[in-house]
Amino acid sequence: MFAPDDTIVAVATPPGRGGLGVVRLSGPEAQTLATRLLDHREPLRARHATVSRIVDASTPAGNAIDQVVATSFPGPGSYTGDDVVEISAHGSPVLLERIVALACAGGARLAEPGEFTFRAYLNGRLDLVQAEAVADLVDAVTPLQARVAFDQLEGTVTQAIGAIDTDLFDLIARLEASLDFPNEGYHFVEPGTVAQGIGLLRDRVIGLLAGSTRGRLIREGCHVVILGKPNVGKSSVFNALIGSSRAIVTAVAGTTRDLVSDVIDLDGVAVTLVDSAGIRVTNDAVEAEGVARARQALAVASSVVVVLDRSAGLEEEDRSVLEATAGTSRVVALNKIDVASPSAWPREALDLPPETSVVEVSARTGQGLDMLRSAVRAGLVGEEVYRDTPTVGNQRHIGLLERASGALADAQRVTQDGATEEFVLADLQRARTAFEELTGARTPDDVVNHIFERFCIGK
Amino acid sequence: MSRRYDVIVVGAGHAGVEAAHAAARVGCTVGLCTLSRETVAHMPCNPAIGGTAKGHLVREIDALGGLMGEAIDATAMQFKLLNRSRGPAVWSPRAQADKRQYGRWMRARLEAEEHIGWIIGRVGAVRLEGGRVVGVELEDGRRYGCGAVVVTTGTFLNGVIHVGDEQRSAGRVGEPASKMLGESLKELGLVWGRLKTGTPPRLDRGSIDFSQFEEEPGDVPPVPFSFLTGLVDREQTPCHIVHTNDRVHELVRENKDRSPLYNGQISGIGPRYCPSLEDKVMRFPERDRHLVFLEPEGVDVPEIYVSGCSMCLPREVQEAVIHAMPGLGDARVLRPGYAVEYDFIQPTELRPTLETRKVAGLFLAGQINGTSGYEEAGGQGLVAGVNAARRVRGDGEWVLGRDEAYLGVMVDDLTARGCLEPYRMFTSRAEHRLLLRIDNADLRLTARGREIGLIGDGRWSEFLARRERFERNVAAVRAARAPGRGGSVELAQVLRRPGVTLAGLAAEGAVEVEAGRDGRAYELSSVETVVKYEGYLRRQTATVARGERDERRRIPQGFPYGKVPGLSREVVERLSGVGPATLGQAGRVPGVTPAAVAVLGSYVRRWGGRGMPAARD
Ligand SMILES: Cc1cc2nc3c(=O)[nH]c(=O)nc-3n(C[C@H](O)[C@H](O)[C@H](O)COP(=O)(O)OP(=O)(O)OC[C@H]3O[C@@H](n4cnc5c(N)ncnc54)[C@H](O)[C@@H]3O)c2cc1C
Ligand SMILES: Nc1nc2c(ncn2[C@@H]2O[C@H](COP(=O)(O)OP(=O)(O)OP(=O)(O)O)[C@@H](O)[C@H]2O)c(=O)[nH]1
Ligand SMILES: [Mg+2]
Repeated sequence: MFAPDDTIVAVATPPGRGGLGVVRLSGPEAQTLATRLLDHREPLRARHATVSRIVDASTPAGNAIDQVVATSFPGPGSYTGDDVVEISAHGSPVLLERIVALACAGGARLAEPGEFTFRAYLNGRLDLVQAEAVADLVDAVTPLQARVAFDQLEGTVTQAIGAIDTDLFDLIARLEASLDFPNEGYHFVEPGTVAQGIGLLRDRVIGLLAGSTRGRLIREGCHVVILGKPNVGKSSVFNALIGSSRAIVTAVAGTTRDLVSDVIDLDGVAVTLVDSAGIRVTNDAVEAEGVARARQALAVASSVVVVLDRSAGLEEEDRSVLEATAGTSRVVALNKIDVASPSAWPREALDLPPETSVVEVSARTGQGLDMLRSAVRAGLVGEEVYRDTPTVGNQRHIGLLERASGALADAQRVTQDGATEEFVLADLQRARTAFEELTGARTPDDVVNHIFERFCIGK
Repeated sequence: MSRRYDVIVVGAGHAGVEAAHAAARVGCTVGLCTLSRETVAHMPCNPAIGGTAKGHLVREIDALGGLMGEAIDATAMQFKLLNRSRGPAVWSPRAQADKRQYGRWMRARLEAEEHIGWIIGRVGAVRLEGGRVVGVELEDGRRYGCGAVVVTTGTFLNGVIHVGDEQRSAGRVGEPASKMLGESLKELGLVWGRLKTGTPPRLDRGSIDFSQFEEEPGDVPPVPFSFLTGLVDREQTPCHIVHTNDRVHELVRENKDRSPLYNGQISGIGPRYCPSLEDKVMRFPERDRHLVFLEPEGVDVPEIYVSGCSMCLPREVQEAVIHAMPGLGDARVLRPGYAVEYDFIQPTELRPTLETRKVAGLFLAGQINGTSGYEEAGGQGLVAGVNAARRVRGDGEWVLGRDEAYLGVMVDDLTARGCLEPYRMFTSRAEHRLLLRIDNADLRLTARGREIGLIGDGRWSEFLARRERFERNVAAVRAARAPGRGGSVELAQVLRRPGVTLAGLAAEGAVEVEAGRDGRAYELSSVETVVKYEGYLRRQTATVARGERDERRRIPQGFPYGKVPGLSREVVERLSGVGPATLGQAGRVPGVTPAAVAVLGSYVRRWGGRGMPAARD
């Protein structure tokens, strides 16, 4: 656990060289320390960008080392709730480290991972869900990830859970009242409506969970692997989708041996696309290893693109690839449509379940690629993304919502079996505890610690 | 020359009698100081003991060797088990008491205790030397020495009674308030506040037409409170039900400005769960009638208590209100209802032993701590009496957990959260409610009491036999099988089905169980519950285990919260004001966030053994 009264310092921008780099100070000494680092004698004006220079007081001449812009955010209105000063310097790692070292020499302590956000949580600036959203926002690769994280930061998830929790609490209070005041001569809750009321609450939790598979894909991204027999154009499709010639393409069957991957943004979903040797029976030791890797990639993939050569006939090897992928979500790409086909390719011949999309493409001309992209995306996250239901994508949240939903299901079942209030309440209280743990209103400290361990320094 | 006792108990109300008895039981000499022997364990309000959650408290007091359960069993006029239609965790016994008999029984019991000496008079001050208690001084100048004092003066501290615009200084009707003692306690720097409670008028039995009412008979057979009581074979007296009506509500509305509750004359805060008639009418205008019970105050006394009609309107308005109800047209009001305002000490001043944090050896119990109700008072009296005695003898603190007893829940609530209104026990305050049942109060607590000397040999040997019977019965039920689909199934499975009872199965001969003496129903109920609701009980036990780490982590007394970095000023103020005994308790202090508890935990861990965090501002 961090000592939350020190003044902490860290580089807030990503490691490496950049145009600008930001050093962030937070804590009771932030202002004093900053003025000592800067050749700026008066206190910084609150929330104003002040141009100044960093001086190294340890050198006799008090050498300036960089020109910077400093901004002071006094607590409690700052990000962390403590006094904060942000110094934008030029983005050289050496320079930024020097500024941090000077701050440490002046009495600041190097921040632990996640410590700035932890302080914001301690000071009540963020709830737990929001604190997690900060980490997601900073890690976001696609604009949709950023948007979902931002919604979470804005509190949409907290609000949605809060609204359910409020109604649950109301029901709990009524049931409690009927136990504690049995002689009042009237009902605090109409008998016979309890099971239904619990059912409605549970539906709302399930509604939040319904979006969670999608939410998780959006938040965590996923793997899509390209499979097919040799030479059907897997690597060509891969290159076409990522928009560069990363994989080697030749007319020789068995060109690709190792896995080749790259991340693409499929309209907001971060997809790690994997090209492989495909699946086939072979005596070649190197190729056999490639096939083994392709199978491993299949095992972790969320979805598969099966490439078939439309310009040739459907062969036994194609069928065995289709069989090997039958258990996974997949899209079938009929490649090389730019070349005339000797035979007709009726869909029935492929013997596919009705929900499997079949898309005709040409990796060479680019025809059909957009269709392929949207088919892959639809297979992963469904057709549309709604903004009005908050997206729950964090595994911790999903786990707790599932726990709440399970407890509500128990409560509903025992109510229907005729159990009396105290048992129903025991189950409802479990649901409530899950909600409270979710937003951090009541979280065992090890959970809190666990959450804050995932942060990087300076966030 | 003044006498010296180990422990002096000030007040012989419901808290005082249990405190004196418990302190004597664990081996101390006790001076019991009261204004009069006639008012020992007097019931100034409702002539009843028990009710939801309160019934649990009485069972727990009894399981720990206290008096209340035996007293009510011996003197009750009617018994009722509340919440009978629900499960065993929320069954609550309640009984109508013969008030006079009840008080006399208590007094006789205490007079028979050889280690209790009586001091008749009014205590004016607690005497201190070097910040610790050395005795008490009466208003008439008499002094007594002691090692610990338990103050249990109820509503007497600066009590003021209101009836219409009449105001009188009084502890309760007919008894003057204790002003000096109140000032003496405030001088010690204890934080205090002002609360209010009220009582309804009493009617003359002979002037009531009972033929007009619905009758409320008692249970047959009655469910007694004490684990020592066998069959109760007694004629029970019925209560009667009346309803208020439009005319009553109109009278209240017309005269609301003459009620001290609505014209600003009373500032103390009353209990929301026990509203006055004025509050019921003004705050719930949509209800066209309210329930009223007519309860006799004794077998051979004329007073009838009008439950649900607590009010402090002028006497003539009260009479008009009463006369507006059917069957009460000619009822004679023997005593009008009244409201009483009184000082209380914020119980956040107390440790979980009910000793004040500021003055060593000074314990407070009962209504002086902001609670309301005889059972709440009795329970605190027992806890304070035991701990006062242990303090004198140099023994360790004796604290019950929230998972062990309603008594533990109550003391923890009071000391961690304080009182903003009069505190009454509810089953919903106990988060481990399913574990804290009336049927297992003895299984939970009697051994705890025995360890510290509260349980005599007779009760102990009877308890041991009961516990063995319980264990044998549970084993028998678990081992039994019943015919079922494709051969046989565990009987426990059958018992878990809705509507199946152990008594029913035993009657069918599916399993043989031994009933206790006099066929005590609670014994079988304990067996049935642990098998039938095993899943629920296991889950609650697991919840208890999860919280145990924080409950065990003690925070040293006088811990300097202000020096813990990262706690907001508000949190520091709250924690310093309450002085929680454990980390678990700190988390229950209002306004203390889980994050603050996490930070505090790391400091308590780090500095716990080696002094305090260094000053650093
Ligand atoms: C008018 C009224 C209405 C109430 N209404 C309700 C209600 O509706 N519901 C409810 O649950 N509870 C009600 N109560 C509260 C209930 O009666 C008390 O909570 C309970 O009796 C408190 O017990 P106790 O032992 O703390 O104090 P008490 O039973 O009041 O005992 C106090 C004792 O202290 C003695 N004493 C006082 N001052 C001194 C002194 N200076 N020196 C020596 N002895 C002293 C008195 O003689 C008395 O024996 C009401 C009380 C009153 C007075
Ligand atoms: N006409 C035409 N040729 C294609 C198309 N896609 C791929 N090819 C050709 O097909 C041959 C094989 O392409 P690759 O992309 O290497 O095929 P692969 O499936 O990765 O082959 P291996 O890695 O060997 O299994 C190459 O000569 C490509 O130029 C297409 O859409 N149209
Ligand atoms: Mg290839």
